[in-house]
Amino acid sequence: MLSTFVQILRENWEMRRQTWHLALTDLVKTYRGAALGWFWLFARPAMYIFVFWFTLSLGMRSGKPVDGKPYLLWLASGVLPWFLMQSMISTGGDVYRRYSYLVNRIRFPLSVISTFYVLSLMIILTAELLIITGACVVFQIPLTIKVLQWPLLLLIMFVFWTAFSIACSPLSAMSKDFANLLRTLSTPLFWISGIIFHLDTLPIEIQRVMWINPVAWFVQAFRDCFVYDDWIWCNHGETVVFAVVFVAVILLAVRNYRRLREEVPDVL
Amino acid sequence: MFSKAAPVTSVIRDRDVDNPIAVRFEHVTKTYKLFRSDRHRLAHAITGKVKCDTINASDDLTFTVNRGESVALLGDNGAGKSTALKMITGVCFPTKGSIEVHGRVSALLELSAGFDMRLTGRENIRLRGQIWGLENDEIDAMEPEVIEFSELGKYIDQPMRTYSSGMRARLGFAVTSSMKPDILVVDEALAVGDRKFSLKCRRRVRSIMEEGHVTVLFVTHSLKMAEVFCEKGIVLEHGHAVFSGTIEEAMKFYAGDDEGVE
Repeated sequence: MLSTFVQILRENWEMRRQTWHLALTDLVKTYRGAALGWFWLFARPAMYIFVFWFTLSLGMRSGKPVDGKPYLLWLASGVLPWFLMQSMISTGGDVYRRYSYLVNRIRFPLSVISTFYVLSLMIILTAELLIITGACVVFQIPLTIKVLQWPLLLLIMFVFWTAFSIACSPLSAMSKDFANLLRTLSTPLFWISGIIFHLDTLPIEIQRVMWINPVAWFVQAFRDCFVYDDWIWCNHGETVVFAVVFVAVILLAVRNYRRLREEVPDVL
Repeated sequence: MFSKAAPVTSVIRDRDVDNPIAVRFEHVTKTYKLFRSDRHRLAHAITGKVKCDTINASDDLTFTVNRGESVALLGDNGAGKSTALKMITGVCFPTKGSIEVHGRVSALLELSAGFDMRLTGRENIRLRGQIWGLENDEIDAMEPEVIEFSELGKYIDQPMRTYSSGMRARLGFAVTSSMKPDILVVDEALAVGDRKFSLKCRRRVRSIMEEGHVTVLFVTHSLKMAEVFCEKGIVLEHGHAVFSGTIEEAMKFYAGDDEGVE
């Protein structure tokens, strides 16, 4: 197990320059063929936030300020990280199929495919969070020192979702059923993870169950930075459970990578 | 199956071009798993403990290629030639046995593949350079030569999905052959494009080979081409090396084999 873990780290260290280039190339591909280019990377999330705000705030009259902060800020600080997580669950969990030419045409370490895919999504999220932080300053929305946690949170996200992708992608490559299962999970996860409602309105038992849901923890943590002005570990119970899930995902990543890495090129 | 001490599975891969051996296979077996249904496949992915049929594409394959040699792999379809080349390239792994590869490998395998269809030809050239770990100035130096050789002209800045298969193959050949390899692996690649381009490709391979210590492994069904390019020949049968010697001897052995079947 340990040797595989070291191998994953070594592969990523050796390919660090390529990782960056490949992440940028992935972004270039997304807006390729559109005259407005980079604009489209941000247009979709912005549109979603607007639609949620329209429905919840104007339509259902539930968009009251949260902790004295605008509802829109509360919404954005949950929805934007969700977009990254959604891409990771549906595409990042099956990333070898997206980059099959790196798997069976060119010699390329498979774990790095996960890394650069996450990184490309991270670049967009970082830009979005910078925009939000800037908007808070411009509109004089009071922020505290806690807002400085988001770079740290991004780092945690980066490691967690890379591990998630390394854990799931070999299984998805081996079995289309597994890939479909992940894809099917992404929509329910959006609705149950408290991205557009307050988790504390749920019955306490269900809240407890939700502790094992890393999506819910990440969304809550981003709101701690921007809205609730709390440390991201302020809810000790949740944080401990999240840490356990985190370690489990890393162990799964190492196990699946060790067992299936050499088989993946044969089946893709 | 391995009554003689079963060898350990290992792959050694380095850039040691002073090693007199370029490629060595020892008792290499490559087993592909065949599942009866997708349910079995799912169960295997999760537990790893499901029975399945197996097929040995390489079966106790042993051969050595010395530095600077040019070797043709001869054999019928399904003899395991391409599998052997893939293992040399490093895109697939042996199930048993040990493989040594000393030097940088450039492979002309299935030329039209290995590109990102949504990127332009030029972006694909740069991407490939980056994946190989070249510096930006090295890529800048390589780019015009590749574009020139591929004869793509203005198409180089169009997305690759708009290319014809011939154009993709031409770019593929131009890119892979311009990376300075220590070991060149050629699989049926020289039948690229029209006759004029195919001739150009052959000349390019010839000039790479003449550069001296480049080792060449060649898979082709055209015995004529094998004779022109190679000095040694290895005959494969059912994943097994049944003959190794000079190209003339190997061709004679292979041809004699055919007569025996008929």
